[in-house]
Amino acid sequence: DSHIQYERVGADVTMKCGSMDWDAAVTWTANGTDIDESHLNGSYLILKNVDLTHSGQYSCYEGSSWHLKYQTYLGVGTPPKEPVLMCRSNNYPKGFYCSWHLPTPTYIPNFFNISVIHGMREMVCEKDIFPKNRCHIKYLQLFSTVKYKVTLTVTNALGKNSTTLTFDEFAIVKPDPPESVVAKPVPNNPRRLEVSWQNPSSWPDPESFPLKFFLRYRPLILDQWQHVELSDGTSHTITDAYAGKEYIIQVAAKDNDIGTWSDWSVAVHATPWTEEPKHLTTEAQATETTSASTSSFMPPPTTKICDKGAVVGSGAVAVCWTAGLVLAAYGVLFI
Amino acid sequence: MAAADSPSAALRRRDLCSRGIRLAGKMRSDVVDLLDTYVERQGLDASASVAAVEGVPAAAVERWDEQTGTQRLLENLAAYRAFRVLLSQMLEEHREQLGEADAALGRALASVLLQVSAFAYHLEELLRLESRGPPSEEGAPPPPAPHLGLFERKLRGLGVLRELAQWAVRSARDLRQLTKPSPGSGSAPSWAESP
Repeated sequence: DSHIQYERVGADVTMKCGSMDWDAAVTWTANGTDIDESHLNGSYLILKNVDLTHSGQYSCYEGSSWHLKYQTYLGVGTPPKEPVLMCRSNNYPKGFYCSWHLPTPTYIPNFFNISVIHGMREMVCEKDIFPKNRCHIKYLQLFSTVKYKVTLTVTNALGKNSTTLTFDEFAIVKPDPPESVVAKPVPNNPRRLEVSWQNPSSWPDPESFPLKFFLRYRPLILDQWQHVELSDGTSHTITDAYAGKEYIIQVAAKDNDIGTWSDWSVAVHATPWTEEPKHLTTEAQATETTSASTSSFMPPPTTKICDKGAVVGSGAVAVCWTAGLVLAAYGVLFI
Repeated sequence: MAAADSPSAALRRRDLCSRGIRLAGKMRSDVVDLLDTYVERQGLDASASVAAVEGVPAAAVERWDEQTGTQRLLENLAAYRAFRVLLSQMLEEHREQLGEADAALGRALASVLLQVSAFAYHLEELLRLESRGPPSEEGAPPPPAPHLGLFERKLRGLGVLRELAQWAVRSARDLRQLTKPSPGSGSAPSWAESP
């Protein structure tokens, strides 16, 4: 017969060779390797202050015949610490899921049991096949003020621990990020970028439970984001991009009424349309220097970058005051 | 009265639903703010559990997606008529208790009461469009406020406002369901079909 035993890290372990007498002559092996007699007390195997390296298959053989008399698997580990539990509804109003993990490994098998209570009712949390530390619950009621109480208990051979979460139906609603985010330049518009996206596919009924969106964008060369909140639609045109600069853009989603914002979507990059550079000739140069320019200015790198609220004007000719003074001076020189 | 499925009735229905959705959103926002104020001014614990309060319509519903349009309207109307009475009682109690000492809370209560009344009107109009008409409110007077101690009244008020906040979310969802075309038919939403 093969046995299994679990012991705590740091414990002293004594293994008997089955029904053999204490004074019987035996040989112990660990994972097929003979164990030195210094670890024996008669026929008992003594392991002091075990650690993870002591885990393995231990076998005891009768001295002269080499008959296998006893075999056991020793698992050295720890009792579980308080598990980390999270519950979230990314498919409201269908249901929600809870997932968990241990903050530190125990190195021996653990068993998880989850209970979900809503008022007086115990609900069934269907375990997912993958990942196996997750289960999902279908809502039986909507719009309830009664809180949900979820208790997760983890047990192993050396102990048990548990944690409880209590929450409102609305509080855990958090959609997945928007999908298929696309950003494109707008032809002949050097300061525009057209952004579009789709509702997350996990959100079951966006018509009845519409999402609102938060878009953030910045040129790669800057750290500060611009933000736009959009209450409907799945597209937006950025109209104040810096000409010729590559942008990074992300979108997040939230139910119109309840819950929290999703994580940010995968980032997309785009650069506004720029005019193809012309090959300059003497004639072309003369023409350009005598005509008034109405195209947008690309602010020089040393120009102070303004907040959206400080921009004067609109569209392609919007500039910050600081840049405007510098560029106006250049303009005067060329008129 | 226009037929329930005439183009003008459909337009009016859509208009009432859109306005109702916006009103429900504003109402919820104001109720949430009022809840914060109420908890603070009444010295309550925001996380206190309040057992189901008698006479307060619970927003919780099973098989919500299977309800007909008529069911949604009738349940909403019954709820908001009840809230109209409950908020009036709360306002009266507030005035008796504090007089002008907390005018801000009184004004906030009055504002929400006005919105509840406006929403009830929207629901009555939607039911009239259905050629069904809203159930009559005439007859039995509203139930009197129960005789409760001061603390019990405060907890009851907390329960009323919490439930109203849930109803405001539910009502917006209900009205959106009403604007959805029914499967297999034209653009008219399903109203009286069996679940």
